[in-house]
Amino acid sequence: MIIRRKRTVCLMLLLCLAGMAVGQTPNPPAGATGVIRLRVRVGIGDGTKAKGLSRKRFFMIKGSLEDNKDLLQSLEQRAVVSRDCFYRSIGASEELIAWLKESDCESVYCREVDQKEVATVPEFQHAVAAGEKEYGDRELARKWLSVNLSANIRSGFYKRQQQEIQSFVAQAEQQSHAKVASVMTDRNGTGFFTDIEPGVYVISNILATEVGTATELWRCEVKVAPGDLATATREKPYLISDPDNKDPKDKKNIKCVSVERPLPACPRVP
Amino acid sequence: MSKSRNLILRMSDKLQFVVDLWFSQASCRTKQRQTKVCRTSFIIATILVHCAWIYSNDGSVIAQKRRKAQTQRPVPARIDYSRFSHSTKQHQEACSTCHKAPTSNWKKARAFPDVADYPAHDACVRCHRSQFFKGAQPPICTNCHTKVSPRDEARFAFRNPARPRQFKIEFPHDKHQDVIAFLQRRPLQIARNQFARVSFLAHAVQARADYNNCTICHSTDMRAPVAPREGWADRFVPNTDSFKTAPGAHSACFNCHWKSQQPTKDNCAGCHKLAAPFVPDPTPKRISMKFQHEGGGDKKIHVAECTTCHINITKAASLRGLKPDVPITGCTECHNKSGLREDLGTELAALDKNRDFVCSYCHTSDVGRRDPPAGHYLVAERIPLKRKDVK
Repeated sequence: MIIRRKRTVCLMLLLCLAGMAVGQTPNPPAGATGVIRLRVRVGIGDGTKAKGLSRKRFFMIKGSLEDNKDLLQSLEQRAVVSRDCFYRSIGASEELIAWLKESDCESVYCREVDQKEVATVPEFQHAVAAGEKEYGDRELARKWLSVNLSANIRSGFYKRQQQEIQSFVAQAEQQSHAKVASVMTDRNGTGFFTDIEPGVYVISNILATEVGTATELWRCEVKVAPGDLATATREKPYLISDPDNKDPKDKKNIKCVSVERPLPACPRVP
Repeated sequence: MSKSRNLILRMSDKLQFVVDLWFSQASCRTKQRQTKVCRTSFIIATILVHCAWIYSNDGSVIAQKRRKAQTQRPVPARIDYSRFSHSTKQHQEACSTCHKAPTSNWKKARAFPDVADYPAHDACVRCHRSQFFKGAQPPICTNCHTKVSPRDEARFAFRNPARPRQFKIEFPHDKHQDVIAFLQRRPLQIARNQFARVSFLAHAVQARADYNNCTICHSTDMRAPVAPREGWADRFVPNTDSFKTAPGAHSACFNCHWKSQQPTKDNCAGCHKLAAPFVPDPTPKRISMKFQHEGGGDKKIHVAECTTCHINITKAASLRGLKPDVPITGCTECHNKSGLREDLGTELAALDKNRDFVCSYCHTSDVGRRDPPAGHYLVAERIPLKRKDVK
């Protein structure tokens, strides 16, 4: 009898303590938003070392992978048009394609074109000649080179990508009734999604990213908890990577791996 | 008007005479009873008194009517023609109606084709002919001309920096960040038993300084920062290289947007949004006033990529509500490392002991006296405290 009573008392005490512990847990204020520190790293060389994927835009779509299943499937089925394929398809010169490739640029806005490069790329030559005629200054014509390039060469690739992204974002927003957030990674491959309502999200680059000779498409499910995680350095970033990343530093921390596909080949037309 | 006034005055003199007469007649009424003369003069006097009262009461009947009409009709505000405003309805036609791009003086005024001068006279004259020829020095001329004289053509710099601004600028950072993006090369993907083409370029590519980035528009401002009206807090004057410049001319835009790429030179409204006139505050604003972009010791290690600290800039589609958004983690990677420096932790510990402690490592006292935000405590792994709760 006494033992039974003791047990009951102990149980009651434990229950009280548990109740107090729950009461002590600090609750985030109502309406608190969360932050995701995204880090994207891809394997380089033989994969034993990884590097941050810089200057790439990532999107955060409300809902789980299951919720967005159809949308995400449509992404995977979408044919990838590589930079080389696009520029070849619009009749860009091989010299221009090589210039873009050499600097890893997606468009001519990526960096300034120097005098030597003007001489080697026919599109640049024509644009500078037209500019010189217009302004009477060759140096100014070089600096303002892009204004005399044809629309497709200038921004065709960007516009095509934006069209696809915007159409996907519109569908995703319609389906989830929530705005799709986006951020671009810095040179270390880090980006912050801030002011995010707590919940489950999918982080994706929407259009497969060209990395070397392959394309990488991320679709990663992430849970956002309330509270300002951006201020917590001790909070580990949400690391996503490609299948080639075998860097021992990243191995344990990778939360999501991309779907890798070879870049479509668009051979040079002789 | 003065003639009728004199007439009224003369009439009132006569009236005075008649009134006197009437009183004399009235006195005879008691004595000699009412006579015919007496009655007639009373009627005349009454009419004249009534008329005189109406006319002599500060003006005339006509004036009263006019006054009444004036109160019913809205009084047109006096227009100050020396203050041209784009918000005037008649001034909101297509920009090219008045402005030419480029202006004929661009070669003299700028190093690139630009809208470098005020519109020609016909832009104003077609509606303001009367103001153009009003008086010896028409005020309308002072909108553009430094001296109002038919022999002096000198004009203020275009845009006149002394005048309040009438437009705010729209600039999507996100789009611009997108187009200057570059692909990622995976260097040296070596398959087994294969020779690889070895080059240093693959790594060097990212380090090339000529990649377009934030520095196209925001360079280090080497001018002395303008002090606030009330003076610098704690008399702390930031170094000349503490801040970055913001583009203030077309030079930053026209190299891509001169033509073809919208918004072009003819689509002013693509960037310029009409706003209530304002004078921009030249004093730089910053919470951590002591931070220096070019600082970080002898190695100047603060020079990181801008978006590493300004975490929200790549998603900013507008300049409205744009904040610098540098989280404390941008600082504490170095400034709160045990064994290295614990600048944040040290100050928070001091505040725990003294509620009047002023944080001064990063802040001037106007900010350093406030309660530190919760994030500061979180990073330093301390329990958040309010100053009022410190014993």
